[in-house]
Amino acid sequence: MRFSGLVENEILKIARQRRFRVVMLILVVLIGLIVFAQVRGRERFLRKEWRVETQERMAQMQNMLRDGRMPPSWQRWTRFELGRLQYHLDRGIDPNAISGPLFVRGFANAASYLLLPLLAIVFASDIVSAEFAQGTIKLLLTRPVGRAWVLASKLAAVTLAITITALFGAFVAYLFGGIAYGYQGWGAPILTGFRFAGERFDPSSVRSVALWEDTILVFGLAWFSMLCVGAIALLTSVLLRSTAAAMGTMLAALIAGTILPRLAPSWESQKFLFVTNLPLPDYYSGSPPPISGLTVPFGVEVLAVWAAAALAIAFAVFLRRDVLA
Amino acid sequence: MLETEVVLEAEGLTKSFGRRAAVADVSFDVRAGEVFGFLGPNGAGKTTTIRMLVGLARPDRGRVRIRGLDVFRDFEKAMAHVGCIVEAPDLYRYLTGRENLLHFARMLPDGAEARIPELARLVALADRLDENVSTYSLGMRQRLGIAQALLGNPDVLILDEPANGLDPAGIREIRQLVRYLAAERGISVFVSSHLLSEIEQMCDRVAIIHRGRTLATAAVGELIDRVASDRVRLTARPAGRAAELLSAFGPAEARPGEEEGVVSARIPKERIPEALRALAAAGVDVFAVERPVPSLEEVFLEITAGETV
Repeated sequence: MRFSGLVENEILKIARQRRFRVVMLILVVLIGLIVFAQVRGRERFLRKEWRVETQERMAQMQNMLRDGRMPPSWQRWTRFELGRLQYHLDRGIDPNAISGPLFVRGFANAASYLLLPLLAIVFASDIVSAEFAQGTIKLLLTRPVGRAWVLASKLAAVTLAITITALFGAFVAYLFGGIAYGYQGWGAPILTGFRFAGERFDPSSVRSVALWEDTILVFGLAWFSMLCVGAIALLTSVLLRSTAAAMGTMLAALIAGTILPRLAPSWESQKFLFVTNLPLPDYYSGSPPPISGLTVPFGVEVLAVWAAAALAIAFAVFLRRDVLA
Repeated sequence: MLETEVVLEAEGLTKSFGRRAAVADVSFDVRAGEVFGFLGPNGAGKTTTIRMLVGLARPDRGRVRIRGLDVFRDFEKAMAHVGCIVEAPDLYRYLTGRENLLHFARMLPDGAEARIPELARLVALADRLDENVSTYSLGMRQRLGIAQALLGNPDVLILDEPANGLDPAGIREIRQLVRYLAAERGISVFVSSHLLSEIEQMCDRVAIIHRGRTLATAAVGELIDRVASDRVRLTARPAGRAAELLSAFGPAEARPGEEEGVVSARIPKERIPEALRALAAAGVDVFAVERPVPSLEEVFLEITAGETV
């Protein structure tokens, strides 16, 4: 027995099941749809010179702010956006520029909230429970291989599947984004690191980096989020022994995580929940976090702690529990 | 001596679920090269016992040793000597037969892969090996399960109700395979079943489990002799005359008349030859003599007769 053989087994099982192809298809269809919708939207919007367009938008926002009927969380976002747009105007960089490479980065930002974690869940939440459902767990755990190795090989396979999903997403986004906006522009400068200090827009840490550098970082963060979600989904799969229950639980957690900051923005402790910290790419690129105190280093720490705890419990339970189903 | 070498040893296995004791103090030895039957009605604790034998469930008390290795302390080494099917031959249905075998070969020391063609021939699946298991019949899955269990060249094969759900041809194939493995390859086979007739045809020794306890462990013939009592069925002509003659040996009855018919009698085993000679001397034609295999219920009634259940 070699560990690589065990991992090969788990990858074979993931790859031969329909869900793998479905996930890849979802990425193709969804990204295709987004590109199509965006192209149609821009045709109607952006006819003017970008400076004029940006100034008009800022004027609109200022009017809305003065009106004062905005909910507080919107006000924060609007003030932040005004600062960001002004900064771009000052530097002469079009904030709404679009190119294939920029689309890739934008996709990673947007998909890190729900889509990419969701796809991670699809793989991880069934990796153990499926063996129970098929009855194959009885064979898997009566071979001369320790249970820890079996679970470790499953973890490795999930990690690989998640990595492939992220890479494939990037590839499809570049492919389709390129068709619509051209494949050039990886070297273009990008402004990143906008922050909200207290209740004020803070440009002090804004940096200009090459787009390719920025994209790698953004995808890396999205990938890290996916891995942590995967670890937690693996735990639900071990605990619940039912794919439907595990997937349902993770889905509920994800969706709750996206609405909670909007429903209860004043509840500070939610920043310790893993779901609140999933949009790491967004916190990095600098949209105002839904609650203050969320930064990339903080988010990485919280997610890492959650993932480590989830794996520790998953291994402890998997190693000890009787298989009776 | 190879004959008496113990390869699988269960000692005082006890397991409770909540307050209900599923298995209580179950002990037995399986010797090298024998087919050992584990007989009991559904719900007697057979599958729970098997789960403990193969390390899927931890006993509350007692231990399991395979070739002297404790299954829970030395799991990997002990399981290297075992192949098993627990409950049903569950394999990956979306993989082909070959992929399933490769999958489990990768969990074994190098060299298991090389045995796949030979094992596929042994279980008569060579020509269907590259089809998805979802297209297999239950009998084929059972055979693939056995091939899987044999990949590691085990000393002990543990089969849980291998005849369940199979048609008579399928049952016969499994029976012949089990006997072949024990006789030709020296593999000890542990077979559970709730059918005495099946155990009788397959096994050398048998343990009977009832309500989580082992009631008896004995050679199969001995056990049946103990229980089969003195019932005899004959097919004879004329049946009426035969019944009359047999009454001398014990109660006998048949439909009166000159026709060929079935006679039910109660004659002790030792006196059957004598009775047959008497029939022959009287010119009665005997076409068949059988001692009906007792039903499992009868075995239990007999064995538990002295106990207060």
